[in-house]
Amino acid sequence: MPPVIDPKKCVHCGTCAQICCMDVYGPAKPQTVPQVRYPEECWHCRACVMDCPAGAIELTYPLPMMILCKDAPARGEGGDRP
Amino acid sequence: MITMDPVVRECDVLVMGGGIGGLMAAIAAADAGARVIVAEKADTRRSGSGATGNDHFVCYIPEVHGDFEDFMRELKLTQAGLNADEPVLRAFAARSFEIARDWHKWGINMKLNGQWTFEGHAYPGHMRTHLKYDGRDQKKILTREALKRGVVIENKTPVAELLTDRAGRICGAMAIDVSDTVPAVKLFRTKTVIAATGSANRIYSSCTPAWMFNVAGCPACTGTGVAASYRVGATLVNMDIPAIPAGPKYFSRAGKGTWIGILRDYHGKNIGPFLEKPSREHGDITSDVWPSVFRDKQRDGTGPVYMDCSELSEEDMQYLLWAFTCEGDTSLVEAMEKQGIDLRRHMVEFGSYECTLLGRGVEIDPHAATNVPGLYAVGDQVGNFLSHIAGAATMGRIAGERAAEYARTAEPDDRVENHPVVAERRAFYTALMERKHGSSWKELNITVNQLMDDYVGVYNVRSETLMSAGLKYFGDLRKRAESSVMCRDAHELMRALEAFDLLDLAEVVCLSALERKETRGGHRRADYTFTNPLLNGMFVTARLQDGRPVISMRPAR
Ligand SMILES: Cc1cc2nc3c(=O)[nH]c(=O)nc-3n(C[C@H](O)[C@H](O)[C@H](O)COP(=O)(O)OP(=O)(O)OC[C@H]3O[C@@H](n4cnc5c(N)ncnc54)[C@H](O)[C@@H]3O)c2cc1C
Ligand code: SF4
Ligand code: SF4
Repeated sequence: MPPVIDPKKCVHCGTCAQICCMDVYGPAKPQTVPQVRYPEECWHCRACVMDCPAGAIELTYPLPMMILCKDAPARGEGGDRP
Repeated sequence: MITMDPVVRECDVLVMGGGIGGLMAAIAAADAGARVIVAEKADTRRSGSGATGNDHFVCYIPEVHGDFEDFMRELKLTQAGLNADEPVLRAFAARSFEIARDWHKWGINMKLNGQWTFEGHAYPGHMRTHLKYDGRDQKKILTREALKRGVVIENKTPVAELLTDRAGRICGAMAIDVSDTVPAVKLFRTKTVIAATGSANRIYSSCTPAWMFNVAGCPACTGTGVAASYRVGATLVNMDIPAIPAGPKYFSRAGKGTWIGILRDYHGKNIGPFLEKPSREHGDITSDVWPSVFRDKQRDGTGPVYMDCSELSEEDMQYLLWAFTCEGDTSLVEAMEKQGIDLRRHMVEFGSYECTLLGRGVEIDPHAATNVPGLYAVGDQVGNFLSHIAGAATMGRIAGERAAEYARTAEPDDRVENHPVVAERRAFYTALMERKHGSSWKELNITVNQLMDDYVGVYNVRSETLMSAGLKYFGDLRKRAESSVMCRDAHELMRALEAFDLLDLAEVVCLSALERKETRGGHRRADYTFTNPLLNGMFVTARLQDGRPVISMRPAR
């Protein structure tokens, strides 16, 4: 579930909870590790990761958001690309 | 009773939504001498669809593009030209360059490699209209510029209602303080409001329905500026024609134009006619021209459609990965890394996402004014001009200037505290908060989504009977939701009010789509299967008169 805070790294500045566009953390109590109250409402904008001064936040990406991929066709060896 | 903040905030210009358009409006109004407050749902430094960046800015630069009329001709061929009233489009284009220059001066890098660089969203051989830039810190910079000018920013303050006086002029607004778990009502006394709440991004189901907030634009934008403007009599326009975003399938994220690659089918065959090989200058414009390509090809079995970037040189690949960070798409890059996807070797499947109301909504004139005196609207929530970033910024400035001018002569109203709408809404919020059992806001949001999908759908057909039934069901839903939704804290109250706004807009979409008796773009009618040339350039409008919706058609201006 996005996002995950490493409590050992967190310096309790409250930035993530303040700037989150979706209020995923809800109000943070001063001098505590913010709670992640509404994880399903994360937009994965990654602002909290970018702005956390301690590098304490990691985003996890839900399985339904799996990116689908396939090998690109081989080039120059008779791949059927035009 | 839900708590009322005893301090009524006073200003000349209240900006509803501190996104790109809202912050630019606030800056301009403050420069023009107005007392300005920005009421923002989240925090202006990282809120809205431009939260962590954008990279294409439509801009007319005389020394690059030459004649203004040539530029206008090209603009009308691109996304920006869709559903637009030409005087608004012109007002925007004429002043777009001054915004780019100011942004650059303020520290947003608009000149990659030291020069104005136009790339992407372009037809080969044509003039390029999109300036490439690095927007990753744009919101922080615009916030700083606003604060420097004395703008007061009230974060965690979603505006819920606009207030008008007896003559129908704007006199105030009502918001909820969500900075604590216990909500409080905040009132504003103001002579003007600039509504800038962005698109309505959670009105149709997400492409991953169980993951509701996986939408292309910021999911905090739920059309409140449109719905609240409508409730005080503003005309809405083009609500019938849906906007269809696309990008990496299931990872719903705007920023399609950043990709440098070619859309190809399963076997690697090009889908569109525009490019043979990937080009940094143009991007593959196929899905701008044919927005439903992914869904159409899935449906007819010729899909899937992939974005193939594997032919890029290493230099261009590095450039693409860097451009994603300018565009606010670092999560996409990270998610691909975590999944072991390497664009040098892999093609990524693209898909159509949920529809939004981006560029559908409030009707404005070339000064960003609505038909409600004192009410202006800018950005994604405007219905007769598809703003995107440059349009939001430029019309924001125009709105700020105009609102400041209007405020100089308008008289403040003293009855905001005793306004009947405040009393009625406060009682409603209290009922939502005091209920001990009931439905969550999510149930309401999901039900709006499923009714939208089925009865005024975009990937499903629309028809007189489907939409008439849909309207009835929306009415039934409203009755049930008003008497059953319950909220446990301020956050849930914010979400519930969003869902009620989506319900209001759902009804307007239905009514507007009933009026358009033809098939056009994503508006596909089973009972009118053809595009009627007599309706080219005709816009459907909707407004409330004496509490009843009035729907009509007018020619584009
Ligand atoms: C990833 C991504 C990439 C994009 N790339 C580009 C690009 O390269 N070029 C381009 O032209 N466009 C791009 N766009 C679109 C562009 O970001 C938007 O068109 C632009 O941000 C619109 O500005 P706006 O002011 O209308 O809305 P936003 O910037 O979305 O701001 C709306 C603001 O209103 C706030 N709000 C919402 N409801 C309320 C309420 N009730 N009360 C108070 N505040 C409220 C929101 O929190 C937000 O701060 C991109 C979008 C995304 C998501
Ligand atoms: S990624 Fe964005 S939406 Fe998700 S928690 Fe962080 S700031 Fe909030
Ligand atoms: S921004 Fe980082 S350091 Fe600050 S409270 Fe959040 S997790 Fe902790």
